[in-house]
Amino acid sequence: MECNTVRPLLDADSDGELDLVRHLELEEHLRACASCAGLAEAICSRRNALRESLPRFTAPPHLVANIRAALAAEIKPAASLPTPASGASIAWRFWRIAGIAASIGVALLIGYNLGGANARSNALFDDAVSSHIRSLEADHLTDVASTDQHTVKPWFAGKLDFAPPVFDLAAVGFPLIGGRLEYLDGRPAAALVFQRRKHAINLFIWPSGSSSMSTRQTSRHGYNAISWSQGSFNFVAVSEIPAAELGQFADEYGRLGR
Amino acid sequence: MPHSFEQTILPHLDAAYNLARWLLRHDHDAEDAVQDACLRACRALDRFRGGDGRAWLLTIVRNVCFSRLRHDRVGAPAEDFDDNVHGPTEDRAETNASVWREARADLLRQALERLPAEYREIIALRELEGLSYREIAAIADIPIGTVMSRLARARHKLQDELIALAPKEFSHGV
Repeated sequence: MECNTVRPLLDADSDGELDLVRHLELEEHLRACASCAGLAEAICSRRNALRESLPRFTAPPHLVANIRAALAAEIKPAASLPTPASGASIAWRFWRIAGIAASIGVALLIGYNLGGANARSNALFDDAVSSHIRSLEADHLTDVASTDQHTVKPWFAGKLDFAPPVFDLAAVGFPLIGGRLEYLDGRPAAALVFQRRKHAINLFIWPSGSSSMSTRQTSRHGYNAISWSQGSFNFVAVSEIPAAELGQFADEYGRLGR
Repeated sequence: MPHSFEQTILPHLDAAYNLARWLLRHDHDAEDAVQDACLRACRALDRFRGGDGRAWLLTIVRNVCFSRLRHDRVGAPAEDFDDNVHGPTEDRAETNASVWREARADLLRQALERLPAEYREIIALRELEGLSYREIAAIADIPIGTVMSRLARARHKLQDELIALAPKEFSHGV
């Protein structure tokens, strides 16, 4: 190993992040090179200083008591928890059943439209629509039901090999109600679920890799889907809401992602 | 229910508080943020399907804290932290052994409190909680490469602040 190779690795080595082979090569270099060894020693001094001198704050005892009390207060009225989903559960359930029939019809129509340069894109819409239908059919709209982007986003950590951008659009009339895992475009994807009046919007997100998509909207028989790419992700949104509203949803989501 | 507050969240309360305390820099604000984060976590707990409870809780804590920090910057535009504007990776002073060997605890703490929140976070997670790059990447929602570059910048900025706080003591070594 050369000094130029060794120096950028010294931090990672002291953090225990180097693999064994590189660690051993680095050790060998440090035995022979006084200047790199000096740097390694400085890094070691820094680590010791930080560990010995910086306080690791610990939670005060009353904090646990406060949290327990707040939790107990929350559990009591839990039977009538006013989340958007449970508040409108009867209408929601009816809409699910009504939506399935329409959705299957649209899925078939979209399926017939395959061909040409749009084949991949159409297949994708097909998959997205099917996922949308399954989510309604199996009463499985969300794996994590939460109106809070701060709990939905971390829920995906460890379940996906990427961190999808999660935003709540409640301020512009599309409240986030949860998320679930999906399989789309031949790989695991995040599905975020938003609500518009009594309608659900499924937003599928997965890394674009080398195949980003142009913005494209399909609109058939009142059933709409829109696809776009932003940053390193592909997005497809599916819903019964009018095309213009779904377009607005996509714009708002894209704006927050910039 | 397979997960409960006592099993999933309580064991990581100190880690949660330490992160919140370094991010918000006040006892009361940190308590408030941790309580908020724990309640949010509990509301989603029945949907939590195992995995790393600590990383999960810390992610919620840091998101709550950063929301508050952004909210507190009244009038200032909400800007994303840009690692690149905080100095290049090259052309900076090397780690100085004498600065660190002679660092006084109170000055070190002051120096860290002067750094931007993203740097306080990464130092707290790496040096105090001992988390791996991968764990930090998941919690802060950044790629591992960014963890490494941000950590390198944070450490050098910390050394700069430390020298600035005690210029006389280190003038001979710099």
